[in-house]
Amino acid sequence: MIKVLFFARLQDETGKESIEVDKTNITVDDLKQHLEEEYNLSSLSHTMVAVNENYADGSTTLKEGDTLALIPPVSGG
Amino acid sequence: MESRYARQERFPGIGSQGQQRLQQKHVLILGAGALGSANAEMLVRAGVGTLSIIDRDVVEWSNLHRQQLYTEQDAENHTPKALAAKERLQRLNNDTVVKAYVLDAKADNLEKLIRDVDVIIDGSDNFEIRFIINDLCQKYSLPWIFGAFAGSFGMTYTFLPEKSPCLHCLLPVLPSGGMSCETSGIISPAVQMTASYQTAEAMKLLTGRNEEVRESLLLFDVWKAQHQLIKTAGVKKTNCPSCGTERTYPYLVEEQHTKLDVLCGRNTVQIRPAEPRSYNFKALADTLRTHGEVRQNNHVLTCAFPDCKLSVFQDGRVLIHGTQEIEKAKNLYYRYLAN
Repeated sequence: MIKVLFFARLQDETGKESIEVDKTNITVDDLKQHLEEEYNLSSLSHTMVAVNENYADGSTTLKEGDTLALIPPVSGG
Repeated sequence: MESRYARQERFPGIGSQGQQRLQQKHVLILGAGALGSANAEMLVRAGVGTLSIIDRDVVEWSNLHRQQLYTEQDAENHTPKALAAKERLQRLNNDTVVKAYVLDAKADNLEKLIRDVDVIIDGSDNFEIRFIINDLCQKYSLPWIFGAFAGSFGMTYTFLPEKSPCLHCLLPVLPSGGMSCETSGIISPAVQMTASYQTAEAMKLLTGRNEEVRESLLLFDVWKAQHQLIKTAGVKKTNCPSCGTERTYPYLVEEQHTKLDVLCGRNTVQIRPAEPRSYNFKALADTLRTHGEVRQNNHVLTCAFPDCKLSVFQDGRVLIHGTQEIEKAKNLYYRYLAN
């Protein structure tokens, strides 16, 4: 299982703060694509990611028990 | 009687030496909106030596719920934000030198304004300008403090040249369609929290406590009282075009054409001419008066059409309020202002 944390607009789009996904040994990019389809999300291509609270990129492979945070950049100032 | 800064000096992180340093330092705040206002007020009250504040816009009624430096009078008069900010800030602390710039920040004009600056604080509302700030700060080895929000959510990070990853390392591609206050709204507690973290980081840098600067990306939701720290070790890229070994500073390369932007939270399109130009406000007022009510001061001329409003600035920029449609804005611009 991989735990996924949603931030900002993704909480509104999914109606959830976090979910568990029954996947393992999957790259961040592949999991993003899966979530886009599963939850009908607007594009995650610019979304920042952290794995176990460390900033990561799309090629990172997620292992059993990892926590993935999906952080869409916000721009207001 | 206690001196003005006695309570601040008593805080161990600052001390009397830190206070003296702070009073010698120069901070530049890019953007005098919500974050710019809040950071500026805290730093000026804290006694920073010089504060430069840059903004391209005028005060509007829809700003007043979150932009703490401005009054109803400023909104009524369409006062340029940088000037309204300077007036208010100077009344809060006359010892700080406040420099106000009413201009649309771009790579070339910013480059001239950052020469003797110690820290840049991000009060902007778009990533295009943040990538320019980022490249300038790498080029001139300056720290800058990113801040952004939407809804009740905020994020902030302190970029230290040569040390932390830069914005370009964190975001290899300039984000488009990011959540803005246009779509998600904004509550002032999210502004205040983002700005508070930015000012705290600025205080560390300005008092010489660089080793205490936070090294993580900080995210929070002030409505849900959630905080998250994301570590950024190992994210700095040696091949980064902005901070790596073979730098090209890609965002400092000027685009040479008329530019249109839809502004954050404003139902407004901005048009910037390719070359700076100045208008004869008197002649323009005469032309526009037949189409709608014209008001003007030395800095800006406005004309209220039935369904939208034009603001024309001395440097040639035009804001078209009341629409987000680029085509409609362009038509108005070319009809009344391009020649």
